[in-house]
Order: sequence, then C-alpha cells, then structure tokens
Amino acid sequence: MDFKSLFTRKSKSSNIATQRLKLILTQDRFDVSEDSMKQLQFELTEVLAKYFEFTMTSVSMSLKREGNSYVLMADFPYHDSAK
Amino acid sequence: MGKVIVITSGKGGVGKTTSTANLGTALAMIGKTVVIIDADVGLRNLDVVMGLESRVVFTSMDVIEKRCDLDKALVKDRRVEDLMLLAASQRNRKDDIKPEQMFDICERLREEYDFILVDSPAGIEQGFHNAAAGAEEAIIITTPDVSAIRDADRIIGLLQNQNIDPISLILNRLSPTLVKKGNMISKNDVLDILNIDLLGVVPEDEGVIASTNRGVPLVHNEQSPGAEAYMRIARRMTGQRVPIPEMREDNFFSNILNWFSRK
Repeated sequence: MDFKSLFTRKSKSSNIATQRLKLILTQDRFDVSEDSMKQLQFELTEVLAKYFEFTMTSVSMSLKREGNSYVLMADFPYHDSAK
Repeated sequence: MGKVIVITSGKGGVGKTTSTANLGTALAMIGKTVVIIDADVGLRNLDVVMGLESRVVFTSMDVIEKRCDLDKALVKDRRVEDLMLLAASQRNRKDDIKPEQMFDICERLREEYDFILVDSPAGIEQGFHNAAAGAEEAIIITTPDVSAIRDADRIIGLLQNQNIDPISLILNRLSPTLVKKGNMISKNDVLDILNIDLLGVVPEDEGVIASTNRGVPLVHNEQSPGAEAYMRIARRMTGQRVPIPEMREDNFFSNILNWFSRK
C-alpha cells in the first residue's frame, strides 16, 4: 500500500466501479431514464411522508435479480424528526 | 443424451473462445465425449485457438446445405480422444443460418456426445440467438470490469426469457493483486450484482497468449493457474463437487516458481 492510498480509501476505483455498475444496471433493467427514476423516488417519498412523521434522507432504489424475475428494492433511511 | 451448453458473454474479447477450447479439451481429458461448435459465422476463431485450422474441410453451413454429413464435418482434435470441432463458415454471414437449423444440429449431436459446447459470437443479434437456439444451459463469461458485467447482465436477461436454465458464471481474468489494491471489482461484488451461480474463477494468466500462439489450449500445460482453474470447472460440469479456492496473490516466491515452470 502506498502513502497516498492511506488517505484515499473511500475512492478506490473498484468501489467506484461497483457503485456505477449498480446504477447502470438498475436503469438498464428498469428501461427508464435517470429523470424518471428520480421522479419515482421523489413521488414515493412524498407518499410515505403523508403517513409518517419522518424525514427521509438519501432514498435509493435498485432492481435485484431473483431467479427469473426482478425484485424492486427501495431503501428509505429516515430519522425521527419528532424527537 | 448429452448436454448442449452455450458459452456467451455479450461483450467481445472476454474469453468465450478461449474458455470453450479449454473446457472442451478438459472435459475430453477426463473421459467425456465432446463436440465444440463455433457459432461465429463469418469470424470463426475456435479452429485457430484449437490449432485445427489446417484440418477444417467442411463447416456447419455445408451440413445445413446438405453438402456433407454431420459426422464428416466434425474435425477430430490432434491431442485428445473424443474431442470434435464443428467449424463455422468463414464465407457466410451470421443471418445465413436460422435458429431451427442450429437447433437441429445440436439435437443430432447430443444423441452421440456427452457435451456439446457452443461458442457464441459477441453481441445480442442473430448470431447470439442462433448459438443459443439448441442450448438448454448457458455459461456466461465475464471479466471484472464495468462494460463486461453490464453486457453479461443483459445477456442473462435474454437467456432467462428463453427458459435456458441453469445459467452459471465464469469470472475470467481475475487478478487477486489488483482486487487487493482496490483497483479491480471483487468476485463477491460481481456475484452480488449479477446474482447467478458461480461456476468458477479463472485467474489472469499470461500463459493464455503463448497457448493461443501455439494453438494448444492451456489445459495441456498442467502447471498454469489458468489450466488448473479450467480443469476444476470441467469437473464441476460433470457433477463433481470441487470447491472454488480463494485466489492467492502474486508474491515474490510464486513469481520465481512461475519463472522456473515456464516452457
């Protein structure tokens, strides 16, 4: 390990590649544009906000292959804004 | 009845032909009867990688157009018993063959041979569909990079739509040293992303270049890490339980050992 890499652990090129791939494949599998994806995430967050008093942060969505079909995975990390 | 397996990748240059040649040879070395079919009409290469280019007289096109019998078009390997090559026509184009014709050839071969491996052309067009037409199973070859994995994902979707099952993965040209440095996508990340069964991992092995130069598949050189990986994969294909070893990093001692075992 060289000196520089001690300080740049988070930006290892393999991690960047993996993150890029996950995004690319989600769009490929959905067959929708990045804008539509963002719109979908936004609207889903809006719906959830009607029912829960949480603040949604960094919503992420992906399609995971399960056998011959896909499962839509959406992560809505939240923090309790009431507290 | 034998198995017809298509070997495909989407992206070109990831090792489909090398893998077909080595797995076909390895299966024959462990006593199976094997036909390897070059489905890359117009850009055939499997004959060259096998070192059989001077023996090709007839091709699958000659069989389809009834210029010769199927048996007569099969080229016997020079080194291993029970290994045959069915070459692709170099003068025709990919859409000169129809999926039904490929299906028919595969059906006839599986009555007599244990394994029929079909080397698919790159791409997702007619040539790929022809290669997959007679197959019941598929092996996807990918390398650990963004473009190859993206294309592999697309191909897996297409094969699933054709009810090809199982579809398994060979991760080719993995360098444990680069993975450890954080400059290559790891085996586990590839599996997490593609979510299909892993058939094997083939390490980066520069012996492949010399083996292609000579027209002698790598598995004939028992000491190479690539050859060992292909032999293990072939045994798994016959149903044996052979664990996938964790890859060792290159180090000073292994480099010296490799240097001495070079031919």
